[in-house]
Amino acid sequence: MTAVVAGRRTRRRRAGTVTVALAVVAFALFVLTMMVGSFYVSAWDVITSAFHLRDEPSVDFIVRDLRLPTATAALAVGFALGVSGMLFQKLLGNPLASPDFVGISSGASLFAVSSIILLGAGSAMVSASALAGALVSAVLIYLLAWRDGISGYRFILIGIGLSEFMLSIIGYLVAHAELYEARQAMTWLVGTVGQAGSTELRTLLVALVVLVPVALLLQRPLRVLELGDDTANALGARVELSRLALIAVSIVLIGFATAVAGPVMFVALIAGPIAQRMVGHSGGGIIAAGLVGSIIVLGADLVAQHVVPVALPTGVITGIIGAPYLIWLLATVNREGRGG
Amino acid sequence: MSYVRRVAGGAIAALLATTLLAACGTSEPNDDAAKSGPWSFVSGNGKTVTLDATPKRIIASGAEAAALISFGIKPVGIYATGPVKDDPNLKDLDLSGITILGQTWGQIDVEKAASLKPDLIVADWWPAEKAYSGFESGVKASSKKLLDLAPVVGIAQGDSIEKLAQGYEKLAVSLGADVKDPKIAADKKSFESAKAAFEKAVKAKPGLTVLAVSPSDDLLYVANPKYAPELLDFQRWGLDVINPDKPDKGFPYWENLSWENADKYQPDLLLIDDRAYASTLKQGEKQPTWNNIKAAKAKAYVPWPAYWMHTYGEYADQLTQLTAAIQKADPDLT
Amino acid sequence: MTLLETSAPRLETAPRHRPGAGLVAGLVVLIGVLLVVCFFSITLGSRGVGVPTIWKAFTDFDPASASETVIREMRVPRTLIGILAGAALGVSGAILQGVTRNPLADPGIMGINAGAAAFIVFGIMVVGVQGIGGYVWLAFLGAGVATVTVYGIASFGREGATPVKLALAGAAVTAILSSLTSAIVMTNADALNELRFWQVGSLAGRYMPVFWQTAPFIVLGLFVAMLTGRALNGLALGEDLALALGQRLRRTRLVMFVTVAVLCGAATAACGPIVFVGLVVPHLARFICGPDYRWILPYSLVLTPIVLLGADIIGRLVVSPGELQVGVVLGVLGAPAFIALVRYRSLAEL
Repeated sequence: MTAVVAGRRTRRRRAGTVTVALAVVAFALFVLTMMVGSFYVSAWDVITSAFHLRDEPSVDFIVRDLRLPTATAALAVGFALGVSGMLFQKLLGNPLASPDFVGISSGASLFAVSSIILLGAGSAMVSASALAGALVSAVLIYLLAWRDGISGYRFILIGIGLSEFMLSIIGYLVAHAELYEARQAMTWLVGTVGQAGSTELRTLLVALVVLVPVALLLQRPLRVLELGDDTANALGARVELSRLALIAVSIVLIGFATAVAGPVMFVALIAGPIAQRMVGHSGGGIIAAGLVGSIIVLGADLVAQHVVPVALPTGVITGIIGAPYLIWLLATVNREGRGG
Repeated sequence: MSYVRRVAGGAIAALLATTLLAACGTSEPNDDAAKSGPWSFVSGNGKTVTLDATPKRIIASGAEAAALISFGIKPVGIYATGPVKDDPNLKDLDLSGITILGQTWGQIDVEKAASLKPDLIVADWWPAEKAYSGFESGVKASSKKLLDLAPVVGIAQGDSIEKLAQGYEKLAVSLGADVKDPKIAADKKSFESAKAAFEKAVKAKPGLTVLAVSPSDDLLYVANPKYAPELLDFQRWGLDVINPDKPDKGFPYWENLSWENADKYQPDLLLIDDRAYASTLKQGEKQPTWNNIKAAKAKAYVPWPAYWMHTYGEYADQLTQLTAAIQKADPDLT
Repeated sequence: MTLLETSAPRLETAPRHRPGAGLVAGLVVLIGVLLVVCFFSITLGSRGVGVPTIWKAFTDFDPASASETVIREMRVPRTLIGILAGAALGVSGAILQGVTRNPLADPGIMGINAGAAAFIVFGIMVVGVQGIGGYVWLAFLGAGVATVTVYGIASFGREGATPVKLALAGAAVTAILSSLTSAIVMTNADALNELRFWQVGSLAGRYMPVFWQTAPFIVLGLFVAMLTGRALNGLALGEDLALALGQRLRRTRLVMFVTVAVLCGAATAACGPIVFVGLVVPHLARFICGPDYRWILPYSLVLTPIVLLGADIIGRLVVSPGELQVGVVLGVLGAPAFIALVRYRSLAEL
């Protein structure tokens, strides 16, 4: 008995250490993003300026006005995607069941871009539309995939189809929009940080501050869910309610994140499994998944903006990172012999 | 289709937008004391911009920069909507010492712009879009931060290139340009004589009709002179530029003809959008109905300087080219 | 997948319940409808052309007449391309849905659109190809390469290319290709322009050369496709059963994928990515004739051109004197049709 408790404690300690380490890395990348650009700003200047420790007009304009919004967007979008992906994957018990992979991101993006092109919507409207889009596509997948419960692979197949479908409509919309130059339209097809206005970003930040603690509170029922529907059913309606609440949380997060950055592909898909591998299976790892998401998006944006010769949308880089992961997953599927 | 439209009409916006914010022109043409008082200028949107001293470090959008440079005012930075080497306004100018802040529509390197410490931004005002070049909707939010660096002034895009050139002349004078400089005066004089030659050539060809078009893969865009300042100038100077009878409601810069109806207007001379002249013409020529336009069949075409001109010098060159085409054209083409 | 147990018995009985004679008659009626649609496709358009002029365009063509030029050199090729592309998309959609058992399978999922787009921008960047005639080959090659890659990745392992692995491989390949495409497009304005035109999906602006470039592939592909009905029925029973029935799964799948690649590749090359028809029409066919692929395939073959040309005609009429691209019309009309199909239970039982 004591051995079990001790083991659990060790695992929890490991989870704590890993999470702190991830937070440090994310913060370092956050600062690094604000250091580079057309002008180098030292790490110390970035920190003092970003946190208003010191006023120095020449640095402040570059750091606070120009770089901080993009860096914050990358941090927040990555965190939201990571958390949301982790929740989906756990609730549905499938590593592929992430909202960006099954069409929820692209649905949100479709609604956001439609509201801009067709209705000329302002910032608040864009966030609301993205949220509505995420909800609609979630409901659509549910309706399409429901057969006495959501069976894993059928759900994924339908989700991929839906995602493809939404993206092709976005393609048509932007090809016909006079409002946007084609490059701008790329935001809504591949996703990039640093494009949207400050209202969308503020909405996302508020959502994160409110919803991540909620998700943490619901972590316990979540762990029960991992034992499978049968066990969960035995525990009754409260679990069902938690499940619904958690899905709602992740849909809200993905919707607002998409309003800020468009459908940044694969971040939600890969953040969860990476975090899980690092933290182990003790905690829910929600925070860790969020931090991994932030690290991926911050890193991808650094590469997209500064390493390649021409600035690219963030989603181009995450797309290239995500593909090998999918192929690796394929290899695992093979080994397990569950071809569907 | 939207691309052409964009280029055509929206692109007006784009073109404008692209004009670089050539910031902080280090131009110090003359340092006489008279220029050092407070400076003010009535911008294209009707608002007056007032500064403590005459601005010296100017960032300008591409075409606007070209206009300033033609008066000897050199901006410190320029933002363009496309590669500077392809920009009709900038490609032949000496841009040494000017920082290029952007070569893509909607993207301006504001960090670099800040380092130039500009005190004025010069960009056309687009009344239809209620925005200055470079700050239209769709532009990256971070690019719009350029507005935090300095006030913007510009001439309103209106109904005449001549007036636009005059507006920039006035702006340049207020910034300290010496328009009596022989080179500048020569530009203006060559414009006046090109205009006279143009009017004479038009008068010599009564009954000559002209149509301005931008052929694309899926549609033939027919320019609506009402929204093309240079075409309005031509009409004012006597040339019969056909007014399309059904301009697009949402985007009245053009009437959109499907290629099936390409023969709707039968001008004697075609003005073809010169912003990508060779490829635009090729897109027209491969359509089966292209040759059902009599001017196209007779290969009576001439480049149309669409929406981009800002200066007397370039206007003079373009007018001379048009005059030659008008002299060659046959008003009784069948 | 769990759905097999319920759907298998139905598959066996369904053909018996539906007498072949009725289905043959239905097919004949549809061919009649297709002919009527073709007639309208040639007579209707943003330009009004009278029947006598049309007659003259075929019997005594005068190139100086704009109306006759429109008929001979614009509407006829457009109609022919519409028929071929429609047939190719419908039939390949039916095969894809059957072989992947994914009710939402369409060319997009197999990476075909992404492959074609990537090759077009490569071609424009590297060789400077311009115009639809030039990049038909590129699109074709791209579609082929993408399909082969997707299939190749998915066939590793014991059981070969299963639906899930195909979808995963398709998503992975699409991700890589579209990332590369965006990267090129961001840096090359020519590529962006050409891609934008191609990407809309339209029958307009495609003339005879495009038809001759793609027709041989589509005709050959359709011929092979029509022979796969029995094999698809076998696959629908589930892999274990199909194996038990003596099918050589790997080879069957391979033949089908090559066919799909040829058909979709050619159609996509000719018209750009056209969504919805390949997805929805096979379901419509299944709704009419039940789950027997020997009927679904010919019905898709005839139904899809009807839908595609119909949408194209609507596009020509609604915004006269301009045009709305067929892809847009299908997007608008297809969405409600798609939702209606979704609500219909059999979609979920593929």
